[in-house]
Amino acid sequence: MPVDQGFIFNPADLSEDVDLDVERRREILFTHAHLADWTHWQVLGLPWNATAEQAREAYREKVKIFHPDRYPAKRLGSFRARLEQVFRRLTEARDVLANETSRAAYASRTAPPDEFARAEARRLDDEGRTRERRARLARTNPIVARIGRVNELLQRGKQRMADGQFSQALNDFSTALAIDPALAEAKALAQEARKRTSADKAKELWDNAHAAEAVNNLELAQEMAAAAAEADPTSPRYPIFAARMALKRGALETARSQAEAAVRIAPGHGPAHEVLGETLAEQGDKGGAKRELERALELDPGLERARERLKRLRWSFLG
Amino acid sequence: MSEIEPFVGIDLGTTNSVVGTVIDGVPRVIASRTGQILTPSVVAVSKNGKRLVGNIAKRQAITNAENTVFAAKRLIGRRWGSKEMEDARKVLPYQLVPGPEGHDVRVVLGGRTFAIPEVSAMVLAELKADAEAFFGRRVAKAVITVPAYFNDGQRQATKDAGRIAGFEVLRIINEPTSAALAYGFGKQMEKKVVVFDLGGGTFDISVLDIGKSVYDVVAVGGDTYLGGEDFDRRIMDWLTFSFAKENQGIDLRQDTMALQRLRDASEKAKIELSSAQSAAIHLPFLAAAGEGKAALHLAKQLTREKLEELTKDLVDRCIQVTERTLRDAGIRPAQVGEVLLVGGMTRMPRVQQAVKQFFAREPSRGVHPEEVVALGAAIQAHALLYPQKDREVLLLDVTPQNLGIMVVGGYFATIIPKNTTVPTSQTHVFTTVQDQQTSVRIAVLQGESEKAIENELLGEFILDGIRPAKRGEVEIEIAFDISADGIVGVSARDVDTGQRQSITVTATSGLTENELRRILDENLDELLERKQSGELERLRERSLAMIKEIESLVPQVQEAFSRSRFGKDALQKAESVVARARAAIASQDLQQITAMEEQLDRTVQLFKGLAGGAPFPGGEA
Repeated sequence: MPVDQGFIFNPADLSEDVDLDVERRREILFTHAHLADWTHWQVLGLPWNATAEQAREAYREKVKIFHPDRYPAKRLGSFRARLEQVFRRLTEARDVLANETSRAAYASRTAPPDEFARAEARRLDDEGRTRERRARLARTNPIVARIGRVNELLQRGKQRMADGQFSQALNDFSTALAIDPALAEAKALAQEARKRTSADKAKELWDNAHAAEAVNNLELAQEMAAAAAEADPTSPRYPIFAARMALKRGALETARSQAEAAVRIAPGHGPAHEVLGETLAEQGDKGGAKRELERALELDPGLERARERLKRLRWSFLG
Repeated sequence: MSEIEPFVGIDLGTTNSVVGTVIDGVPRVIASRTGQILTPSVVAVSKNGKRLVGNIAKRQAITNAENTVFAAKRLIGRRWGSKEMEDARKVLPYQLVPGPEGHDVRVVLGGRTFAIPEVSAMVLAELKADAEAFFGRRVAKAVITVPAYFNDGQRQATKDAGRIAGFEVLRIINEPTSAALAYGFGKQMEKKVVVFDLGGGTFDISVLDIGKSVYDVVAVGGDTYLGGEDFDRRIMDWLTFSFAKENQGIDLRQDTMALQRLRDASEKAKIELSSAQSAAIHLPFLAAAGEGKAALHLAKQLTREKLEELTKDLVDRCIQVTERTLRDAGIRPAQVGEVLLVGGMTRMPRVQQAVKQFFAREPSRGVHPEEVVALGAAIQAHALLYPQKDREVLLLDVTPQNLGIMVVGGYFATIIPKNTTVPTSQTHVFTTVQDQQTSVRIAVLQGESEKAIENELLGEFILDGIRPAKRGEVEIEIAFDISADGIVGVSARDVDTGQRQSITVTATSGLTENELRRILDENLDELLERKQSGELERLRERSLAMIKEIESLVPQVQEAFSRSRFGKDALQKAESVVARARAAIASQDLQQITAMEEQLDRTVQLFKGLAGGAPFPGGEA
């Protein structure tokens, strides 16, 4: 499924009371969210310049997913309108791409920059005017213009950083780097922006994880927290939360790997040891559990849960 | 699901109707209670005031022509005074009058006037009764077919007829598409299929691209006034003309009974000529010759050759429409992978020959021309009700005609072009043309002419409550949408303020909602009502029990939510569900309570889950 990692799902949509599984919801939400910025090829899941026949084929496959008639006697709630909109867009894409004339016009309009250059070069080659080609490329791509463009991008990126629009800023810096890969300032700025973007994303995922927990969808909460941990690998709170959710669901393997990750990130953080200790206790490793829980209390004597669990462990030693 | 709720697909034809269903994955037609596959689309009121439908109505048509309505499909959804209606009036023996608003057409039957959807509903109700006898229980869900070329008004009126007959109409689908569906069902195929559907009253042609169980209609065309009855009429005209020539100018058209006998004889001769080279027409005592003279008889011999000569232009018209539709679809006859012949008229050898000549290939004989449409409708009903794993089906149909509005100068501006895949929608922005203008009048039309007046008027909409401003300052966005049924919807909003504007339909060719409701009330069977009240009591008790359970769970749920910033709206939602359920119970409306029951059930499940000790952040497991 073409779900990209950076896409944030609204937990309210994922938990709406309709007869659709989570996978299908994600697919619908993801596609629907991209209707405005995808090209006709992308909507149909095709590469640029795919043939008319491919467009027809892809359309038939896609409509099986996105036509409301494919969900007989199912409650679709807010997803019905989304499906209808996606269906309309698919049809529009098919109408343009399945017709050779409109397809060709659309292809030249949406050609990726390098394809464009290649096609242009090929054309000029055919005419055997290599020199003219060089002159033309130099004219359309002068070095002066490039420098101006880089400065412009850096300026805009900095402004966006200041406004808290980290992902857009990252975009600007990356574009600047693509034009001039040796630019040290852009490199540093891009790194900073990337860090801030991930932290931002992790924060949002973290909020969503809590929301999912509140509606008692522990699996989703765990997934969200794990995604947050992936986006921002510097904070232990994300893997700790993911481990807690997994522990509650009885997914001990996942709980353990998340808890261990938390300890790895912050070896001096009590709650990380606490959750690892609890997990080990559940897995039956009493010695390991005791060690981790004691370490947790050593680091942070206020951890009630660790104290409680340790007490129970000690009792069972005696018994 | 242990037992599947029965459902039907109905081919509501001009002359005959057929009902079908799907049993254990196999589509089949349902015979009437008297064992017939075809039920004549004929309704009558007998001399003693009894209502007759189907074969029995057709049989008494000769002796009771004024009170026998046939070919109601030619009038359904038509406006009073339209050219089509006037043409029909000239040849129909029963009386037509305008509806109370003067827009739609009514028929007089047994001293009462009926709207056309009411007449069609009588035929549908007959088929419903046949299906119920077949299943041994109530049948409510149906897919009904219409000619692909039907416009919005005709589709809406057909849907109304279904409702009046007591059906829940799942979908209105096109006859040729339905035929293609029945043809392709259960087969793996990737090809372009042309459906050539020449029925009793209409001619339809559809081009489909079938692949991977998706039935994608590429183009449709047709003529809603070209069918078997036109062929019959050519024979009738020939008979009356030669009769007048041989009998000192006696005009048989003045005598409704003679006319009805001629009509029956013509149809019979036409059918006979599909297999024979010549048919004899004998109508003894057809007309009185005058005082003291013996009654006049008609005896003629009609050859196949003569019939083909009489109807040559009709067949040519079919081929012209076919040619145009293929051009719209952007394909050549040679690219067509299969040609399906549908409708009783395609049994005529000359028609088959013309089709074969045009496509340079033998048309398919794999389908039963009279049953196939009802079978396809049944397959679609099945697909719309129950998920199909191995035999999935998806229909993608198109709009048959341009949809647009009338613009300055009386011209027609297309908004949704014909052959657009439905469902679809399109918006159009209007500005005010006068200072302080507060209302706009919009005429919505369907058709292919550049002049608005030559197209079918679907309705006039008055958009009012526009905020007063200088001319051109207010922009109103009108959204036109066409549903999967092919039915048009219109809504409007102010571009700047985003406020929705009210739209009033001032003239349509169909029944108003109030009228429809009145008819539905009248038709309510007493027996059905009593059955419902038992059902009502059971539902009421179940719903009240659930409300009680929800209310008892509220404190626990509140407790569970107290430590979380989430979930507050869940309680509010539950409150509104309970309130609405109470209102539904108070209204005694079976449908409303059924709808609420489901929501109550979901709330109970949710609350049980929440109150069942689900842990919250900070809480102890």
